[in-house]
Amino acid sequence: MLVLASITKKQIVAATGLFLVLFVLGHLTGNFFIYGGSEAYNGYAHHLNSLRPVLNVVEAGLFLIFLLHMSLTISLLIENIQARGFRRYAVDRPVGERSWASRLIPFTGTYILGFVIFHLFDFAFVSHFGARSLINGIDRGLYGAVYNAFKDIRHSAAYIIAVSFLGFHLAHGVQSLIQTFGFENPVWSPRIRVLSVWIGGLVALAYSSIPLFILLYVKS
Amino acid sequence: MLNPNIPSGALKDKWTHHKASIKLVNPGNKRSLKVLVVGTGLAGASAAASLAELGYQVEVFCIQDSPRRAHSIAAQGGINAAKNYPNDGDSVHRLFHDTIKGGDFRSREANVHRLAEVSNHIIDQCVAQGVPFARDYAGYLDNRSFGGAQVSRTFYARGQTGQQLLLGAYQALMKEVGKGAIKLHTRSEMQDLVVIDGVARGIIVRDLITGEITSYVGDAVVLATGGYGNIFYLSTNAKACNATAIWRAHKKGAFMANPCYTQIHPTCIPVHGDYQSKLTLMSESLRNDGRVWVPKKAGDTRPAREIPEAERDYFLERKYPAFGNLVPRDIASRNAKEQCDGGRGVSSSGKAVYLDFTDAIKRVGKAVIQERYGNLLEMYERITGEDPTTTPMMIYPAIHYTMGGLWVDYNLMSNLPGLFVIGEANFSDHGANRLGASALMQGLADGYFILPYTIGDYLARLKKSPVDIAGHEAFKQGVSDARQRIDKLLAIKGKQTVNEFHRRLGHLLWEKCGMARNKKGLEEALAEIPRIREEFWKDLCVVGSGEDLNQSLERAGRVADFLEFAELLVKDALTREESCGGHFREEYQTEGGEALRRDDIFSFVAAWEYKGAGTAPVLHKEPLNFEEVPLAQRNYT
Amino acid sequence: MSKKINLTLKIWRQKNRHAKGRFELYKADAIDTEMSFLEMIDVVNEKLTKEGQEPIAFDHDCREGICGMCGAVVNGQPHGPQRATTLCQLHMRYFKDGETLVIEPLRARAFPVVKDLIVDRSAFDRVLQAGGFVSVKTGCAPDAQTLLVSKHKAETAMDAAQCIGCGACVAACPNGAAMLFVGAKLTHLNVLPQGEVEKDARVHRMVKQMDKEGFGSCSNEYECQAACPKKISVSVIARMNKDHLRSSE
Ligand SMILES: Cc1cc2nc3c(=O)[nH]c(=O)nc-3n(C[C@H](O)[C@H](O)[C@H](O)COP(=O)(O)OP(=O)(O)OC[C@H]3O[C@@H](n4cnc5c(N)ncnc54)[C@H](O)[C@@H]3O)c2cc1C
Ligand code: HEM
Ligand code: HEM
Ligand code: SF4
Ligand code: F3S
Ligand code: FES
Repeated sequence: MLVLASITKKQIVAATGLFLVLFVLGHLTGNFFIYGGSEAYNGYAHHLNSLRPVLNVVEAGLFLIFLLHMSLTISLLIENIQARGFRRYAVDRPVGERSWASRLIPFTGTYILGFVIFHLFDFAFVSHFGARSLINGIDRGLYGAVYNAFKDIRHSAAYIIAVSFLGFHLAHGVQSLIQTFGFENPVWSPRIRVLSVWIGGLVALAYSSIPLFILLYVKS
Repeated sequence: MLNPNIPSGALKDKWTHHKASIKLVNPGNKRSLKVLVVGTGLAGASAAASLAELGYQVEVFCIQDSPRRAHSIAAQGGINAAKNYPNDGDSVHRLFHDTIKGGDFRSREANVHRLAEVSNHIIDQCVAQGVPFARDYAGYLDNRSFGGAQVSRTFYARGQTGQQLLLGAYQALMKEVGKGAIKLHTRSEMQDLVVIDGVARGIIVRDLITGEITSYVGDAVVLATGGYGNIFYLSTNAKACNATAIWRAHKKGAFMANPCYTQIHPTCIPVHGDYQSKLTLMSESLRNDGRVWVPKKAGDTRPAREIPEAERDYFLERKYPAFGNLVPRDIASRNAKEQCDGGRGVSSSGKAVYLDFTDAIKRVGKAVIQERYGNLLEMYERITGEDPTTTPMMIYPAIHYTMGGLWVDYNLMSNLPGLFVIGEANFSDHGANRLGASALMQGLADGYFILPYTIGDYLARLKKSPVDIAGHEAFKQGVSDARQRIDKLLAIKGKQTVNEFHRRLGHLLWEKCGMARNKKGLEEALAEIPRIREEFWKDLCVVGSGEDLNQSLERAGRVADFLEFAELLVKDALTREESCGGHFREEYQTEGGEALRRDDIFSFVAAWEYKGAGTAPVLHKEPLNFEEVPLAQRNYT
Repeated sequence: MSKKINLTLKIWRQKNRHAKGRFELYKADAIDTEMSFLEMIDVVNEKLTKEGQEPIAFDHDCREGICGMCGAVVNGQPHGPQRATTLCQLHMRYFKDGETLVIEPLRARAFPVVKDLIVDRSAFDRVLQAGGFVSVKTGCAPDAQTLLVSKHKAETAMDAAQCIGCGACVAACPNGAAMLFVGAKLTHLNVLPQGEVEKDARVHRMVKQMDKEGFGSCSNEYECQAACPKKISVSVIARMNKDHLRSSE
């Protein structure tokens, strides 16, 4: 069996992480069409679906990337827990550089996984037309489905929590992947760490803005 | 008669001719020859790696958990070489000359010349290994100057030259261990030397984790076990530094040379309490910008800043106007002691003098001083909690290096065939005083460039022993002696700890056989040491077992040896009725308070032979002849 | 200035590698604040010895922050609370009267406890044996000045070469990773022209050995650099990652 060096594994995690980040950003951009109203949003979705054979490949790739990212992070996580030895210190007081974002990354990651599954059943694997898409009796397609979902405050809240976790994940993840690929520069490395937190925060805010927008601003 | 085996011919050709004429071991035979190297400091690590590269089977032993932690790691200042890169007139001859003079004419000319000759190869070798020596902006190697020299010949790697050189040698060692050419035994302490028919044949070693005692057979034994400065308890040496290996070898017949040559470093952080466990060196370079002073009035307890200029005594500047604060180590040290003995010492213990940077800061600014000595000032502050740029630094001399050690001939072999001694453990090329940055040079010269040749000459002549050496009675005897010793230490079950005895011995030696010695004090010490030793064997308390990791037991063994060795050290000091280098006998000084040598009577190496417990050791003299450098008295006033 | 404080010590005692360890409580009374941390343990040990109890075993040698022998975890932090300071250079003035200090060995699977606070760090030696050197034999070096090294490279190498091999980075890392230690040696040797020739093989062999020794992998927690007494920066880890990625082996 081919044994991958720890660093190689880590770099695969980083590479897949990078693809996932790009997806998250792309998906965000697409979802921003919601601010253009139902026509714009459905048009975008329709346009996407018209690329079908290609899109299938992209989706399959995305799935594989997800799988790779998860399986490797999980295997690294288990190895790392073992590498610590049989127990941690009696006093848990990190020396100081460790962020909560990095401490919680396995949890935020798992939460994201749960969310994505829920999300796929929410929007992707279901019909984009029909009962869930009706707004005031008119079928608004995918827009309607999203609209109806987010009008429910609990549904919105679940999304907002999920994307906050995503932001957290990225606050550590973005700078981490840059370090893992080996970029280092005395001036830029510290800045990238700050930037990473901003990216995480902005992604969380930008995604949250969608349910909030629907919940608070859009009148039926 | 002690034969140093110095090759004939002109001084500058001796080594070249010798190398060309010594016997070589055929490569096929090297694989069947085993060399045991004890110690992994600069000397041991470099020797072991070089021998393994040549094809010998090598086994290496050290006390620490990794060879990289040998005490050489702590050397700060730098390493000398006669490269003359700064073009300031340095040469092999000048380095040789400075070393002979610095050693106060108590070293062998032929050895010192060879040391100067190979010094340049050391730098080449270390650079090739990746030792990150300081460089200038053009990428060339940088040099600094050091005490006792008028040229800039010291190569350095920030304040961690010893560390970087040792890591270079350690990495070379690791390379060979990785290849399987060297077998490494860490946390292993040599307990005894095995001598069969007058030839060194192996060693007895205790595994410090399991307590197991094992014997190892070799075709030659190399001791590179460092200096014995810790005999004084408080010194700048690491805690594990000891005399055990060389002392036990001495008891097996190897001659101990010049044990009274000990060096004191003037700028160390003073003692602050009885709990003090070691002293920290502050680089000598600080004296370039610091002014040494004490209050004029004895018993003045005012804080430094409140003592007005007129009531301060800048005693070095006053007494030695030409050199001022930059007088050699021994003079600076003795003067500090004199002030403190006169009641003018500062700090709560009264055993410190000020080293004041106020004027330098006024002259060049705080930033420059900080840049020059940054990490030293930081270290001082970390230890004392005081900022030396606002409150004057307090310093006091401390034991730092030991020039004495096992006697070796030109080939670095002791009087016992098959026993080689290198690095600080031998009586060395430094005579009665070592110049700064020369110990690292000597350790690496011995290990990389001298021993690998000279040991070959011995091994090539060695006749394979007809009997099965490993099964020889002497090995079993060695193991059982070592075990008995340990059992004896554990069986005392007295009331005093090892540290208490060690502290007492150290204090005694420091007072009576330290910076300044006199007949009366030495005789008192000679009477007192056996009393402490007797008490030690009656009232020592070591808890725990011998079949286990037991640090008190390890220390007890070392202190037991110090207690024996101390007597020889003092005896040597008493016998040498002259002052030279680090050995200052108050009876023998010039009017200016300078060391007064007596070349007509004492121009010899004192090599002592062990004659059994309770019997007086026998002194053998190796006469020293000076053909190249005319004998001269030092004068710094 | 010096004063006396009383402390309670909760110290890990473990007879040997295979024994089960436990915490024991000790009183350290009238400790002079000018003492170093190890001197404080010395005092406790003297007392224990006199009471016929086995003293606490702990590694130490130079006691001036350079040999890398010392190191224990004090209140969860390797080498204690003061940054850029080894345990032997930590002084008691950093502690308050009446405090309880929890003192444990450096913990990681690759560093089995030998006794009390002493751990086996020989894994570091083996990682270096795999490639932490320049393969030059004694005697074949050219004149030192024939090889120019830019000041920048020399300084970068020196910054990394300062590592004392204490293992605090491993102990601080939540993953028990040795990335900082290994990265430091790789940076030292790989940035210098002398070491560049063997760069690819070196990074591969050392990383392989590091994994084999049972150290964890890096998830960029940066605890290691905070715990490092020699202020080695995680940039050495980045450089190792890059060299590993680019290497042809
Ligand atoms: C603080 C300080 C600063 C210094 N600065 C400088 C400087 O700037 N320039 C300079 O030239 N010199 C300097 N020196 C002196 C120099 O560092 C030493 O003389 C030199 O490093 C000694 O090297 P060594 O190889 O002989 O022995 P060490 O490095 O002392 O090594 C001894 C080895 O022997 C082993 N050992 C000892 N006993 C036993 C035993 N019984 N069994 C098994 N193994 C044993 C130890 O484990 C160790 O591996 C300094 C010394 C000190 C204390
Ligand atoms: C407010 C936030 C979000 C909205 C409104 C939203 C909306 C949608 C919609 C409508 C789809 C179905 C698209 C289609 O089938 O054509 C979809 C698919 C998907 N979404 Fe989201 N999404 C949001 C957040 C997220 C987040 C945070 C993630 C990931 C972490 C994510 C991951 C996915 C994935 C993986 C798919 C399936 C991709 C595909 O089928 O092409 N989404 N999303
Ligand atoms: C949209 C989804 C996701 C994105 C954008 C993403 C992104 C990233 C990035 C950029 C990293 C940093 C890689 C590195 O350190 O070099 C990372 C690490 C990690 N991810 Fe994700 N991830 C996602 C989903 C997940 C999921 C579903 C899991 C859960 C199982 C997960 C678990 C982890 C873990 C545990 C790490 C840390 C691994 C380590 O540093 O060793 N991630 N992720
Ligand atoms: S990198 Fe720092 S913490 Fe790690 S071993 Fe080296 S000096 Fe110690
Ligand atoms: S703390 Fe550990 S996770 Fe990496 S950055 Fe340092 S090795
Ligand atoms: S004892 Fe040497 S670093 Fe602490």
